[in-house]
Amino acid sequence: MRPILEFTGVTRAYGPRLALDDVHLALEPGELTFLVGPSGAGKTTLLKLINREIRPTRGEVWVDGLAAHKMKASRVSELRRRVGVVFQDYKLLPRLTAKENVALALQVSDLRVSDEEASERAIDALEAVGLGDRGGSFPRQLSGGQQQRVAVARAVVAQPPLLIADEPTGNLDMDTSWEMMDLFADIAAFGTAVLIATHNVEIVTRLQRRVLTLVEGRLVRDQPAGSTGRMAWLALS
Amino acid sequence: MAGVVVKGRFPRRRIIRVVATNVFRYLFRGAARNWLRNIGSTAPALSSMTLLLLLSGLVGMVGFALHNLEQVQSAQASLLHVYLRDGAPPADVGALWARLAKDPRVATVSYVSKDEALARAQGTPGLPQLAAATDSNPFPASLDVRVKNISDVAAIDRLVRSDIAVDAADPTSYDKGAYQRIQAVLFGFAVAGFAFLALLGFVAVTVTMNSIRAAIHSRRDEVTIMQLVGAPRWMVRGPFVVEGAITGALSGATAGLITFGLAMLGMAEGSTTFAQFAPGITVTVAAIAAALVFAAGLGLGSGSSLVSVRRHLES
Repeated sequence: MRPILEFTGVTRAYGPRLALDDVHLALEPGELTFLVGPSGAGKTTLLKLINREIRPTRGEVWVDGLAAHKMKASRVSELRRRVGVVFQDYKLLPRLTAKENVALALQVSDLRVSDEEASERAIDALEAVGLGDRGGSFPRQLSGGQQQRVAVARAVVAQPPLLIADEPTGNLDMDTSWEMMDLFADIAAFGTAVLIATHNVEIVTRLQRRVLTLVEGRLVRDQPAGSTGRMAWLALS
Repeated sequence: MAGVVVKGRFPRRRIIRVVATNVFRYLFRGAARNWLRNIGSTAPALSSMTLLLLLSGLVGMVGFALHNLEQVQSAQASLLHVYLRDGAPPADVGALWARLAKDPRVATVSYVSKDEALARAQGTPGLPQLAAATDSNPFPASLDVRVKNISDVAAIDRLVRSDIAVDAADPTSYDKGAYQRIQAVLFGFAVAGFAFLALLGFVAVTVTMNSIRAAIHSRRDEVTIMQLVGAPRWMVRGPFVVEGAITGALSGATAGLITFGLAMLGMAEGSTTFAQFAPGITVTVAAIAAALVFAAGLGLGSGSSLVSVRRHLES
């Protein structure tokens, strides 16, 4: 099976400083993977490379068969339709309702989607994240956890093959964080590769999924699912 | 039993309708809504562009009138009025006429009687008052001589000055260098007009670009989200260009209407005088000028916002 995401010798420099240094990795469909490491290790840089917010200084980044490392700015939207993104601060449009926020992602990426179809699919996505009854609410009327679930619904409504999340539980309490993780696990179970950058030690150690550890821009450990020991994680942190 | 596969018709018309609806919503309706929301920051651009376009329209019409005036002056410069002495015998006038008509440098010669000269003067600004100030007709009869080449006017003037039929005190209408002076003045006006418009254009474009930049900054989060959910580049940039086009179109429409209104007012208030001072300015010309001002506004607004978007909105 061809990987959904592939990094080959990826280096990204900001001036003299290497944010990522010769990183090789691959993600398969349906894989839920955590990306961990101390602050400044290069986690966000790695996610930005996937979403083609930046380009690598060296190496290749392949996303669902698209060469993100040499993609022109005019074609970036094509790549981003294949990558769902979830942020720590949700990034919902405040003037749109939850349903409209989700439907927007569908319609801007495919103008052939009618209002009715977008609305139906948005409601389906919101129901899948447990917010089927809050579609008419504006972001300010929702709790942090609910806003994050709307963001997840928006990220997956177009059924992208890859979902990336940058500290998705950073603003949530522990119970809500676990709910979010259940959601990500469900999404992965349906075949979407999920990559989550996080600092949450408890979640990473208890879920026992694959863990990629970055330290000072280098991928120092790639632990397969089921082998994540609490002490090993603490040692790396 | 084998099933029959029915080939479904591709609902192309429906898809076109859906795409058009979505394009209209995200490009035009969104832009109009944002434009109204940002009216405070757009107001300086709107007013400066309206002022620029209004002045452009007026300067353009003045330029058109001056161009026509120059054409008239050019035609008049090749026409020499040879003023006849009051009471000059018809035989002397006929002899002079014949001499001029035979001259190879002369194109045409025509006789203008005192009554015709008076009638002509009454259509010229300022002269009707002069004509009314006296009971008698002060305007002399003349031979109107059109020369083939403007440079020959001086020679013809020298030729007729000493003729017995010609008024010794005021023999001809020849004014050495008058045509060149008019041309110099018109050239000066043209240069000053272009420089003035270029300055105003620079100000208007800068102000519009800044207002679009302010709009981009105020909606940075929204732009980021649109980009992250996979909106194509034209959908992110388009609304800002449409916003600039709205600003330009409104400025253009306002300035065009004022330009048209002022021209109509000028024509209505002093039709005779206006026609003399602004030759060639008609309702059609004023309407064309208004349409050009509108088009210029549309182009200026969308063009300057396109430049601003390219400069300030990263992909």
